[in-house]
Amino acid sequence: MADTTYTFPIGPVHPALKEPTMFKFVMDGEVVVDVDVQPGINHRGIEFIGMRRNVLQTLHLAERICGICSIVHQYAFTLATERAAQVFEVPERAQYIRIIMAELERLHSHLLWAGVAAHELGFDTLLHLSWKIREDVQDVLEIISGNRVNYAMYYPGGVRRDIPPEKIPRIKKVLDHYKENFQMLADTFLGDPVIKHRTVGVGTLSKKDAIATSTVGPTTRASGVMKDVRFDQPYDAYADIDIKPVIPSNYGFEDAGDVYANIVVRLIEVAQSIEIIEYALDNMPSGPYRAEMNVNKVLMMLRKADGEGFGIHEAPRGEMCHYVRLKENQDNLDAWKVRASTYNNILAWQKKLIGQQIADVSIVAASIDPCIGCMDRVAVVDSRTGKEKIMTDVDFHRLSVEKTKRLRK
Amino acid sequence: MKVMNGDEFASYIKDRFGNNVLSMRVDKFKNGVKKSEFHSVWLRVDRSVFKDVMRAITEIHDEAHIAVASGSDLGEEIEIIYHLNLFWGERNRQLTVNLGVRCPKDDPHLPTISDLIPGALITEREKQEFLGITIDGIPDPRRLFLAENTPEGFYPWRKDEDQQEKLKKLYRDVHEEGV
Amino acid sequence: MDLKKTFDQALWVFHLNTGSCNGCDIEIVAALTPRYDVERFGIKLVGSPRHADVLLMTGPVTRAMAPRVKRVYNQTPDPKVVLVIGNCGTTTGVFYESYNILGPIDHFLKQIDPDVKIVYVPGCPPRPEAIIDAVAKAWLVLEELRGDNK
Ligand code: SF4
Repeated sequence: MADTTYTFPIGPVHPALKEPTMFKFVMDGEVVVDVDVQPGINHRGIEFIGMRRNVLQTLHLAERICGICSIVHQYAFTLATERAAQVFEVPERAQYIRIIMAELERLHSHLLWAGVAAHELGFDTLLHLSWKIREDVQDVLEIISGNRVNYAMYYPGGVRRDIPPEKIPRIKKVLDHYKENFQMLADTFLGDPVIKHRTVGVGTLSKKDAIATSTVGPTTRASGVMKDVRFDQPYDAYADIDIKPVIPSNYGFEDAGDVYANIVVRLIEVAQSIEIIEYALDNMPSGPYRAEMNVNKVLMMLRKADGEGFGIHEAPRGEMCHYVRLKENQDNLDAWKVRASTYNNILAWQKKLIGQQIADVSIVAASIDPCIGCMDRVAVVDSRTGKEKIMTDVDFHRLSVEKTKRLRK
Repeated sequence: MKVMNGDEFASYIKDRFGNNVLSMRVDKFKNGVKKSEFHSVWLRVDRSVFKDVMRAITEIHDEAHIAVASGSDLGEEIEIIYHLNLFWGERNRQLTVNLGVRCPKDDPHLPTISDLIPGALITEREKQEFLGITIDGIPDPRRLFLAENTPEGFYPWRKDEDQQEKLKKLYRDVHEEGV
Repeated sequence: MDLKKTFDQALWVFHLNTGSCNGCDIEIVAALTPRYDVERFGIKLVGSPRHADVLLMTGPVTRAMAPRVKRVYNQTPDPKVVLVIGNCGTTTGVFYESYNILGPIDHFLKQIDPDVKIVYVPGCPPRPEAIIDAVAKAWLVLEELRGDNK
C-alpha cells in the first residue's frame, strides 16, 4: 500500500504530526476491528532545523509548524524561551494582548473545525456558513497583525505589536456580531435531528481511557475530564480570569466523549472565548508591550542565557508544549522539542475508531480535530476475505454522505 | 492523592531517593496583574532509580498526565526528560515535573514507562527513532514518523561526529538516484 | 490580461499537500467558501487528480511525499497546469535545511516533465485574492495549451 497516496490536509499541525496521516484499518464487514495510525508523511524535521538557527529565527519557524494553530506554537515557544532565559519581565499589557490573540485564534480554529465536521457529515451548507462567519475573525486578526495566517505577534519579553485603543471598537463590533449569530449556529449543530443521529454515541471515549492515554483539549473534556491549562496552571493574563474547563455535563449534556459531546465542547468554548476577549479588552492595563525593544539586545540577552524551560499553552486542540534549552555563548538552540496537541490524541483515536462503522470513520477521526487530510488514504483490510482495498478521502466522504441521506428519509 | 507544591514535592523525592537524585531545582513563575504563582520542578535522577521515581510519582498522583518526553544528545550521553503534569483538575494547582535521566551512548537503554502511564507510548516510540535509544519493554517498537526510505542507523537528533557525513549521504542518495 | 469574458468550461482543481504547514491550504479553502467563493466561476475542488485541469500544490516536498508528487502529476490528464502556492513550494521557504525536505516542488516536476507549466504564487501564505488571480493566470495558460493541441 501507500504508493498512490494523495493528500488534502487541512488541520492543526505538528512537525511530525500535521500531515496526511495514514491509517490502517482491519475491518469485519462494515465495522472497524483494529486500526493502526501511521503518521510521518508530513514530517519536516522542524526540531532539527531549529537547532541550527538562533532563537528569533526559530520563532518564525515555530509559527510555520502549523498555519492553523500558528500562534499557538509561537506562544508556547515564547513561554519556554522566557522561562529558560529568565531575564525578561513580561509587561502586563503584553500578557493581555497575548491572551486576546490566543482566544481570537481559538475562535477561528473552532469555527474552522465546525465547518470541517459539517462537511464530513455531508452538510456542506453548514460548512459554508461556518466559514463565512469565520471570515470576520480573520478580519480582526488582520487588523491587529496585518496578516490572515501567521500573525507573528509573540516575542520574547512581550508582543511585537500593540493593540491601540482605536482598533478596539472594531474588534468589539465583530464580537457582538458573533454573539448574535452564536445561537443560530448552536441551534443548527445541536438541534438538527440528523446531526444528532450521526453523532450521538458515535466514537465514544471513556473518562478512564481519556485519562490513561493522557489526551488533551476538547477531546478529553468531552469525556468529562477537567483538564485545561488555562485553569490548571494559569499563565500570563489567564491568571486574572476565572476560566472553568468546559465539560458537557455542566451545560446539561452528557459527558459521553462521543462526537456530539465534542461539538458541544467546542461550541461552548466559542462563547467562552468571546467572554475572555471582552474581559481582556476592557481590563487591559496600559504601559509598554515589550520588555526590550531593541532586537540586537534581545539576541544578546538570549545569547548570554543558560538554562532550560518548558512552555505550555492551551491551544484550540489542547495542551501544546515546547521544551527549549539555551546554552551560554551559543546562538542556536541547544535542544528543542515540540509537542502538538494531536500527538497526545493519537492513542485516543484508536480507542474511538474501533467498533465504528466505516461510514462513521471520517467524522470520528475529525472529532479530535486533526487535519481532515488525515483521512486521505486508508487501507481497508476485510478480515473475512483478507482482501486489501485502498479507500480515499472521497470514498469515505461518499459513504458518510450516503449514511446521512439514509437517515434523512 | 496528596497535593504538594514544588518545594514539598522536591523535598519528598529527595528524602526518598537521597543521592540518586543528581540535581533539583524549583522554578516559580508569577503571572497576570494579580501575580499568582505556579511551580515547575526540574530534577535529574540516576538511571538505576528512574523507574522507581516514576512509580513514586504515579503513587503521588495516579492520574499523572504525561505531556511529552524531550531528548537531546549531550555528547557522551543521551538525556531524556519526561515532562509530567500532576494535580490537574483544580484551579491553579497543577505542578509541572520535568524528570531527566541519562544513558551512555554505548549502552542506550531505558525502561518503558508505558505500563505506568499508557499515554507515554507515542513519545517513547519517537525517542527510539530520533535518538537511537532502546526503550526496554515498549509494547510497540515500530517507527513512527520517519519515512520508510530513511536509512537505518540515521538518528536525526544525534550530534555524533559522523552525523554530517550521514546527512550528506542522505542528500546525495536523493539527488543522484532520484526518488 | 485578455481573459475571455466567459469561461467556456468549468475549471476543476485538485489540491495536493506535499508537506505544507496548512497555512496555504486553509487559504485555498477560504477561497472556495462564501467570502471569496470561486465556485461561482465553476472552479471546483475535486477528489482525484484524474478529474483535474489544474493541480494546486502546497508545501516543501517531504521524503515520503516525493514519489507521490510525481505520481499525482502523471495521473493528471493533459493539458494541465500546476499552481505552486506559497513560499515553501517555490523555494522550500523556512524549511530549507532539513534532512526530510528534499526540495521545492518544481525540482521534482521538472525531473519527469521538462516542459511543465507552473504558475508560482509566493506568499506565506498568499492571500485568497492572490490564489484566485493565479487560477485566472492558469486559465490563460490552459487556453494556450488547448490551442496548441488543436
Ligand atoms: S508558504 Fe508559509 S503558509 Fe504556506 S505552507 Fe509554507 S510556511 Fe505554510
